[in-house]
Amino acid sequence: MSTHDQHGSGRTGTHPRRIRLLASAGAAALLLASGTAAPSASAAEDDKVLTVAVAQSVDSLSPFLAVRLLSTSIHRLTYEYLTNYDPEDNHVVPGLATKWKSSPDKLTWTYTIRSDSEWLDGQQATAKDAAWTFNKMMTDDGAATANGSFVTNFAEVTAPSPTQLVIRLKQPQATMTALDVPIVPRHVWEKVDDLSKFNNDKDFPVVGNGPFVLTDYKPDSYVRLKANKDFWRGAPKFDELVFRYYKDQDAAVAALRKGEVSFVSGSPSLTPAQSASLEDEENIHVNDAPGRRFYALATNPGARAKDGTKFGDGHPSLLDQRVRHALFMAVDRKAIVDKVFQGHAVEGEGYIPPRFPQYFFEPSADQKLAYAPTEAARLLDEAGYRTNADGKRLGRDGKPLNYRVLCHATDPNDKAVGKYLEEWWGELGISITLDCLDNVTDPWLAGEYDLAFDGWSVNPDPDFVLSIHTCDALPATPKDTGATDNFICDKTYDELYARQLAEYDPAKRADIVKQMQSRLYDLGYMNVMAYPNAVEAYRTDQIESITTMPSAAGNIYGQDGYWSWWSAVPAGSGDSSGGSSSTGAVIGIAAGAVVLVGLGVLFLVRRRATADDRE
Amino acid sequence: MTAEATEGSESTTGAEGTESPESPAKGAAPGPRALARQRRRATVARFWNEYRRHRAGVFGLAALSLFVLVALSAPLTVGSDVESVTNAPGQPLESPSGRFLLGTDQFGRDLLGLLIWGSRVSLLVGLLAAALSVTIGALIGITAGHFRGWYATVMMRITDWFLVMPTLVLAIVLATVLSRSLGTIVLAIGVTTWPTTARLVRAQTLAVESRPYIERAKALGGGHWHIMSRHVLPNVMPLVLAQTTLIISSAILAEATLAFLGLGDPAVVSWGGLLQDAREAGSVSSGDWWYLVPPGVGIALVALAFTLCGRAVEAVLNPRLGVSR
Repeated sequence: MSTHDQHGSGRTGTHPRRIRLLASAGAAALLLASGTAAPSASAAEDDKVLTVAVAQSVDSLSPFLAVRLLSTSIHRLTYEYLTNYDPEDNHVVPGLATKWKSSPDKLTWTYTIRSDSEWLDGQQATAKDAAWTFNKMMTDDGAATANGSFVTNFAEVTAPSPTQLVIRLKQPQATMTALDVPIVPRHVWEKVDDLSKFNNDKDFPVVGNGPFVLTDYKPDSYVRLKANKDFWRGAPKFDELVFRYYKDQDAAVAALRKGEVSFVSGSPSLTPAQSASLEDEENIHVNDAPGRRFYALATNPGARAKDGTKFGDGHPSLLDQRVRHALFMAVDRKAIVDKVFQGHAVEGEGYIPPRFPQYFFEPSADQKLAYAPTEAARLLDEAGYRTNADGKRLGRDGKPLNYRVLCHATDPNDKAVGKYLEEWWGELGISITLDCLDNVTDPWLAGEYDLAFDGWSVNPDPDFVLSIHTCDALPATPKDTGATDNFICDKTYDELYARQLAEYDPAKRADIVKQMQSRLYDLGYMNVMAYPNAVEAYRTDQIESITTMPSAAGNIYGQDGYWSWWSAVPAGSGDSSGGSSSTGAVIGIAAGAVVLVGLGVLFLVRRRATADDRE
Repeated sequence: MTAEATEGSESTTGAEGTESPESPAKGAAPGPRALARQRRRATVARFWNEYRRHRAGVFGLAALSLFVLVALSAPLTVGSDVESVTNAPGQPLESPSGRFLLGTDQFGRDLLGLLIWGSRVSLLVGLLAAALSVTIGALIGITAGHFRGWYATVMMRITDWFLVMPTLVLAIVLATVLSRSLGTIVLAIGVTTWPTTARLVRAQTLAVESRPYIERAKALGGGHWHIMSRHVLPNVMPLVLAQTTLIISSAILAEATLAFLGLGDPAVVSWGGLLQDAREAGSVSSGDWWYLVPPGVGIALVALAFTLCGRAVEAVLNPRLGVSR
């Protein structure tokens, strides 16, 4: 309030000046309030805009670098992949490729590329583009950053004709119909010098051939996409799709209530309280679907690199399988589902969520680590970790056991489950230290943790989430970053992994995948506690219908494919935006009035306070 | 400069060295110890009489006593069981009822109990952080005022540096770098809020040291330690006290802020931590006011109580301030 000196001077001049000042302040407040209340008004008048509130920022818009869910979802929308997954039941359907077949020796795959897909600049998307994309990933380390694992087994990729792509393999590979690699236009990407540094976010619109065109991007603010009217599968019903970044989930939910956004996905999902309150709301539909994520407790198996160097400082007692089993047997998974997720999750069993029934594994009765605290205590006694007079369990070094549990500060569920673990394991005589960090990557990669909260989204083809537990995924040296999740390296598991990758018969492959999960379950390094639901909400007065995946009960955000946004149908009339802008105006006027009154009061108080100083 | 102006008036409370001659005890000549004790008692009584006239100060003190009483008796009234999630008595996010006066949190724990239990941490961190902050501030202020020269220059430049640094940002950095515990929070708040105290104390030290009796003490052979501890410290003590009460309120706010930002110890229940839990449970957007409002009101009330007390003490010690209030 540096202006208050000016007010004090001379009584006669104050009155008109005060009015002018207040009027301008009020006008500014009005302008400000209405400006923030109706940002969507900037789009063209009759354009149907679908705004999605996201909590994740974009890591890169280059298909060769992006790994985050939001970025890869955007690539699903802007580039075609060879194949896609059916929204009904996840079976493989044509994408850029219309047909595919493997040679009798299982080593050569031939794809027929469609001829009705065009890049934004009018050029035809051909097999040459696909061949260039794969070859680039095979030869350029920078291009292999995100999806390199798909091509490690490729021997040669060629395009004999614009409609034919031939991939020769070193070993049989079952994931050839699930190559989740965006195919980029060769004539555009050839000009890029260093793919490891190019983020594809300077030149808009970005040349692609997906159902949407990437037209604008502002880091940590929004990503704007326009419908591709010439898309071969048919144009999307919405004209524009905007992913708007909301750091705070409550703010995103409030924006949904106000109608500023049409869809909120939550990070990773809406809290039980939020979904419960949104369910009562008119015009808002809460989609509570079985998720594709698992939520697990990972145990440090002694971090090591491929060259045999051990590093990190995982607790030695956790190398004992009985200890790992005992810890997990003291975890009441049902309570976690009931209390922490409040029913918005399914109790954990095997590694792959039940949403993928062909791969879902349930431990047998005598294998299952059911909740049994007394049995857990007995197991610990048996392993030689006995309690002292204070009831604390002592390690081999005679010190009380205390495990560091790495948790994501950004995920409230981690902290909540941590509170339960503290008490459950406290009964066993084991204390824990919850290390809740914004950035868990550094201690994780360094192997500096005992236990950690872990979770992955599982794709229709489970190869990737299985591959991250093989010895091959370990970092080459302690300084490198491997694809490994938790430094697990087990011979039996690796053998099974190789077998499932070479198995082209779906039923047989599924059986091996289940055996792998059984092995993983017995090892006790990855203890799946729950499969959280995807809880998301959208406005029914802005989105009339939208495809979930799988269609019976499925999620909307982060699908394996572009189905949800491509299929979304705008609600009939355009009167919804009128409603929101009028509430915006009301809020603006109210805010302006409050500011006016506040300034008036402030001014009076100031005048009174400085009354002695004046004249 | 304020000390000089008020010297000789009855407001140089607690300043033993400069006690004006009107207060010696009447009656039979008691020993020097008894004399001192009597003088101190009279000073305290006079202080209290002055303090009582500040109605806001009395209100603050009453509120404070209530909070302290509640916090101290928490182990008896609610007990640490209230923190337990596995034995939580209620359903998640129940609204206030006869059984749970302030409803429950997302684990089904009694929020009234948590609020009482959390007051201990909030008060403790507030007090410890303020004590740390004022100790650093007083130490640097007195030594800088006493030694002057290059030492004072260096110290004051450091003080200035801390003064211009945004306190919260610095505290967040500290709390992020160090491990998550109550000690870290205390440290983070303590080492970021001391500069104002240092500046105030240095000014007062300079004023005290320019008085003739300090010169006399020096002439009689009083060393640095003697002068600082026997003459300067008692004279800046009232200022330090007032400053402490004021800093406690900002320390409690800072603790709540850090805990709300998720930088506190997640295993410890505090008011700021409760607000953070409430936010994470999504109770802001779902309108579960009983989860959000009580901790916020608690923080505001305690901070207000300390501020009122601090202001009153300040006004008593410096009558020129008192006039305008």
